Amino acid sequence: MTHRSDRTLHVKALARVEGEGGMLVRTRAGRVEEVRLDIYEPPRFFEAFLQGRRHTEPPDITARICGICPIAYQMSSCNAIEAACGVEVPQAVRDLRRLIYCGEWIESHALHIYLLHAPDFLGYDGAVEMAADHREVVQRGLRLKKTGNEIMEVIGGRAIHPINVRVGGFYRAPSRRELTNLVPRVEQARDAALETLRWVAGFDYPDFEQDYEFVALRHPADYPITQGRIVSSGGLDIPVREFEDHVVEEHVPHSTALHARLDGRRYMTGPMARYNLNADRLPASVRAAAADAGLGPRESNPFRSILVRALETLYACEESLRLLDAYEPPDPPAVDVPAVPGTGHGATEAPRGVLYHRYDLGEDGIIRTAKIVPPTSQNQAQIEDDLRRFVEPRLDLETDELTHRCEQAIRNYDPCISCSTHFLDLRVEEA
Amino acid sequence: MIGVGNDFRRDDAAGLEVARRVRAAAPTGVRVLEHDGEPAGLLDVWDGADVAYVIDAVRGTGGPGAVHRVEVGSDSRLNREPRDSTHALSFGEAVALGRVLDRLPGRLVLVGVEGGDFAAGQGLGPEVAAAVGAVADEIVREVGG
Repeated sequence: MTHRSDRTLHVKALARVEGEGGMLVRTRAGRVEEVRLDIYEPPRFFEAFLQGRRHTEPPDITARICGICPIAYQMSSCNAIEAACGVEVPQAVRDLRRLIYCGEWIESHALHIYLLHAPDFLGYDGAVEMAADHREVVQRGLRLKKTGNEIMEVIGGRAIHPINVRVGGFYRAPSRRELTNLVPRVEQARDAALETLRWVAGFDYPDFEQDYEFVALRHPADYPITQGRIVSSGGLDIPVREFEDHVVEEHVPHSTALHARLDGRRYMTGPMARYNLNADRLPASVRAAAADAGLGPRESNPFRSILVRALETLYACEESLRLLDAYEPPDPPAVDVPAVPGTGHGATEAPRGVLYHRYDLGEDGIIRTAKIVPPTSQNQAQIEDDLRRFVEPRLDLETDELTHRCEQAIRNYDPCISCSTHFLDLRVEEA
Repeated sequence: MIGVGNDFRRDDAAGLEVARRVRAAAPTGVRVLEHDGEPAGLLDVWDGADVAYVIDAVRGTGGPGAVHRVEVGSDSRLNREPRDSTHALSFGEAVALGRVLDRLPGRLVLVGVEGGDFAAGQGLGPEVAAAVGAVADEIVREVGG
């Protein structure tokens, strides 16, 4: 049945592990009556699990929250613990952290662009169907992703749940030779990223410009990855330690998840926010590529986030090459971080947006409380609002098509199932 | 031999536990990996192998500890699942993608251990722990350990 004015689009939970989510859009008399994005599971288990642990343990434990972005969890936790203990790491450690984080951006963005989001734009059910018709394109995406994984593996000891990251730096600094060996592959990845940007620039994008409040880190010199102040397009400009003075997580009735709000307002974090607030921090070569791809100084159509991810992949490759060229192994590979009682806050730019950690350390250096706010919980309220605005003018679409378009709209945010939920088994209920 | 799972999801760690036991007993030439199951990553790790075993926790109707063995290519139960995630491919999609791109191992065997409790936490339930031991012993026998 098509063109029904009373409908429920329901994407329910997938049953691999507990703690899943889904999407529900209910319309009545041609109006959107209810939108619920049910993401059941922020990393509260990990917050509880960290209590009573030593202050050196969060990088290893929180890396297990997400298989796609373990480095983000490790780096936000290191920043927070080091802030609590009043330790600043040397520039050489910072640079190596930035390099491994670039690997994660490349891996995560390539996965999302090629295997998850591009099939929506090209009219395929999924990556498998797209690969049948565009074999070389998908192979390029997989090679790009693999290069990101290789950067993570060489520095982190292994790509999944890296083991070489510690509070204060690294257990072992890779030799210059080990990293130099990566250069040819990263050069190829840079070329592939540029081809990726040109490829997605040719996609058709629905008209869906919205008035967002963007939130991202901002650094005096660099495009933000591992450090910076928290700024917003609404004028917020605060140090990371004031995050919780402005961002409050609220319970919502339809979900056990928390929805974060900035001074009471919904907001967007992630690649679109980073780009809109920090495009002036990109090197000239990347800004030129952005202009060639049709990216303006301000982008407010979330469907164009795939373009921004492609641009950030190019940036991460160029930044990796710069860091590889300048690399000198940090000596020692880590600085001591003696426990100091108190509270530390840390935030970095995970592929999906701002990832905030706070730890309260007791007199004995044991963690009393931990708080983790992942990007997906920050974006949830905004995703629901997008769905509301997106669906209403499109109620003339067939139910299957509309459901699929809603999923595409959710995919604009690349919501993290491992941080927040496992996701989406499709079912449509006609009212 | 690729053990897939998450140590912080109770019975979901079954595949990782099998990997740890096989690693301790496997002969030279058998590569044992622990993996979170991200499917595009699976393509990279099984590419070029003569034989690959993937051990993962599954949910089914046999009860905790029930073991299912599926040889890819000869068993229809491993048909592709529908696309159902905003964030990752399913295992079935990884196999299908590997087939399209000619990136499957010579032989691919999936061993699924049914779990009962996938909630956040650590430690396997007793039936799953027993099954893990049996699966590890069987794989070691098969690979000549």
